[in-house]
Amino acid sequence: MLRFVASRIARAALTISMVVTFAFIVLRMSGDPAQIIMGADAPPEAVDAFRTAWGLDEPIWVQYLSYFWAILQGDLGRSMRDGRDAIVLVTERIPATLALTLPALAIKIGLGIPAGIYAALHRNSLADRIVMVVAVAGFTVPSFVLGLLLVLLFAVQLGWLPSGGQESWRHAILPVVTLGLGGAAVLARFTRSAMLEVLGQPFIRTASAKGVPWRAVVVGHALPNAAIPTVTIIGFMVGSLIAGAVVVESVFSWPGVGRLLVVAVGNRDLAVVQCVLLLVAVTMVCSNLIVDLLYGLLDPRLRGAARKAA
Amino acid sequence: MIRRRHLLAAPALATLPRPSLAQADQRPSITIAVQKVSNSNTLEVLREQSNVGERVFYSSLWEGLIGRNWLGALESVPGLATEWRRIDDRTVELKLREGVRFHNGDEMTAEDVVFSFGRERMFGSGDAAPGAGTLFARIPGQGPQGKELPPEVVAVARRIWPALERVEPVDRHTVRFVNRTPDVTMEGRLARYGSDICSRRGFADAASWLDWARKPVTTGPYMVAEFRPDVSLTLVAHDQYWGGRPPLRQIRFVEVPEVASRINGLLSGEYQFACDIPPDQIAGIERNRAFEVQGGTILNHRLTVFDKNHPQLRDARVRRAMTHSIDRQAIVDSLWAGRTVIPKGLQWDYYGEMFHADWSVPRFDLAEARRLLREANYRGEPIPYCLLNNYYTNQTGTAQILVEMWRAAGINVQIQMVENWAQVFARETPRAVRDWSNSAPFNDPVSSIVNQHGPNGQQQQVGEWTNDEFNRLSGELETSTDRARRRIAFRRMLEIAEREDPAFTVLHQNATFTAKRRDVAWKASPAFAMDFRPGNFGS
Repeated sequence: MLRFVASRIARAALTISMVVTFAFIVLRMSGDPAQIIMGADAPPEAVDAFRTAWGLDEPIWVQYLSYFWAILQGDLGRSMRDGRDAIVLVTERIPATLALTLPALAIKIGLGIPAGIYAALHRNSLADRIVMVVAVAGFTVPSFVLGLLLVLLFAVQLGWLPSGGQESWRHAILPVVTLGLGGAAVLARFTRSAMLEVLGQPFIRTASAKGVPWRAVVVGHALPNAAIPTVTIIGFMVGSLIAGAVVVESVFSWPGVGRLLVVAVGNRDLAVVQCVLLLVAVTMVCSNLIVDLLYGLLDPRLRGAARKAA
Repeated sequence: MIRRRHLLAAPALATLPRPSLAQADQRPSITIAVQKVSNSNTLEVLREQSNVGERVFYSSLWEGLIGRNWLGALESVPGLATEWRRIDDRTVELKLREGVRFHNGDEMTAEDVVFSFGRERMFGSGDAAPGAGTLFARIPGQGPQGKELPPEVVAVARRIWPALERVEPVDRHTVRFVNRTPDVTMEGRLARYGSDICSRRGFADAASWLDWARKPVTTGPYMVAEFRPDVSLTLVAHDQYWGGRPPLRQIRFVEVPEVASRINGLLSGEYQFACDIPPDQIAGIERNRAFEVQGGTILNHRLTVFDKNHPQLRDARVRRAMTHSIDRQAIVDSLWAGRTVIPKGLQWDYYGEMFHADWSVPRFDLAEARRLLREANYRGEPIPYCLLNNYYTNQTGTAQILVEMWRAAGINVQIQMVENWAQVFARETPRAVRDWSNSAPFNDPVSSIVNQHGPNGQQQQVGEWTNDEFNRLSGELETSTDRARRRIAFRRMLEIAEREDPAFTVLHQNATFTAKRRDVAWKASPAFAMDFRPGNFGS
């Protein structure tokens, strides 16, 4: 088990260093941060002064090595727009983003999985068709379209909810619903497919033939076996908790990590972008690690395979 | 006396958000949705030199010695100085307004003015601070003394006041500005964005330059209550304001990046104003009779800029042909709903005696364009056009129209989409045509044609264009005190840069639009600035 975890951590470290390198190259090769941050009308001498002050006049490889060395020492750099530590800027936005993505994750799981199970257990019924039509619609409608539709209905027409901002819990309702519905649709489709595949397996027929009550067959045999693809999808959803609401945060003017990322990329604010990417990579890697461990819990065969490999 | 304006405003004021303890202060609070509060995440006029900055700074927060008539033609008016006079070609003396209070309660004196234009706040130590060689080693604004100026602040200050020798107090309420060289534009520079007054004690009390820049202590009718970078700026009334009690208890600017979200928030009543409305949304908003869109032209012209080093543009006749191929009125009518104008070249009415009323942009004349191209022996070789995606309002649409207009004349311009200004200016890729906009920060051509296209201006600094005679005239315009000669020099510079050896061609004046409830009595200024002083909000 220790070797398993150690190899995963080593792979994660490699992934993160590749993300950092790739982001650095792409961001630095696609524009001079000094010119972008200072704007089109900035006096040339102001742009030059900015460039010198931030070491942007150094060769790119020197900048990269400095940055990488700083990261290894735990220094994630400072925002060129702000002068503040990038990690502080990013971490102070995380609660706002989690205030959207965690309730949205609850909606995705609480709505998507039961809907998918219900549709699978009532395959080809009217309920199944309705669930799938709604799921396909939720799956295909872009979040900014869904968000604006919800705003038009609940904020502009009915006046029940605010259209944007972050002043109260009411401001979170529409963005959470926008995020939650799209994810619930995805989960519903995956859960239905997984359940249908499992329900067609011989061991389900065997259990039924042995007289096991249908509810027990579903709960005891079908659900655990259908859980693996669903857990994989949920793992991705957990991994995107930090930066998975970029569009929704823009539509609803929600000051989270996603909006910070958009602004930072636009300004080539390297330290902030890379800090967000690092956090996203770490979150994604951790959630994948947890998913891998859950596989072992859910499927005894995988535990056995791991033991044999060890 | 009850005026009609008061009656019109009454229903609006009744429905605006009110504080829970309204007995203490009956004034309304408003929320304004903007695309961006501040690009630099600071509120320091020397760091945030942008249109969005102008909106929140003037006339709510910052004020200069010489002000502007924000609700008129932007002409100079007494501000924190009540009168001024020329001592000689290099010296202006100003009489300060008495009884002006800063947001911290201090009275403004000559010492504050001297400090505002001093090394500590504006010009720095005189040495550009070098970087420590790494990308992340320095924190501008948080140096060893905590008040080290970011280098770009110093650079901007030197651009605004390139030859300021000293500012000296004459008495408690009189100051003199002394220039190293004769300069007829000193009064204009005093009225411009960046020459504003701050509290000496306010600066000293801040822990760092960044703290100061996020909560500057100034004299405006509103003061900073809370600034959340990238999120919102909350201003509250400064009741000791010299111009009378501000009509609003609180102004809150909130960043709403999506235009649809700004409009929805306005329609649902969350915002009282929605700014940065694209022209194509105006009709849709005004279909609802409860709302209107105000605004119009601002002190900013949209240009097409040429790089005369490109092989196809070396011959001025090709550039001249391009200027004659543009039907500017078609652009104004189709993309701006006719709500802006074609100006008389790179100049503005408020130049006063320096304004050439008989000047105009090159006329739309396809036959002339084709004749020039024949003479230049241009045979349809491709000309690249580096284009940003709607950095300016209607930028992409305008570019597509321009390309078709040029094609009609026989000019093969090809759009190359780029992502940022660094890519626009990159010398590694072919440069020929790009977009730009030019402002006139004060009422003299030095503020625009010299500062932006002269020897030290951006266009020449990035190596796109130069012209010896133009550069000589730039120097004359900056230093001559002979107003008649300056006027002639300016005329000649327009002829060179817009007709003979085009550096650019002016397309149209830019405009900005603000949507609001029709029953709110408020008037937009011909600028990005939003005026909420006494007299311009239902009181």
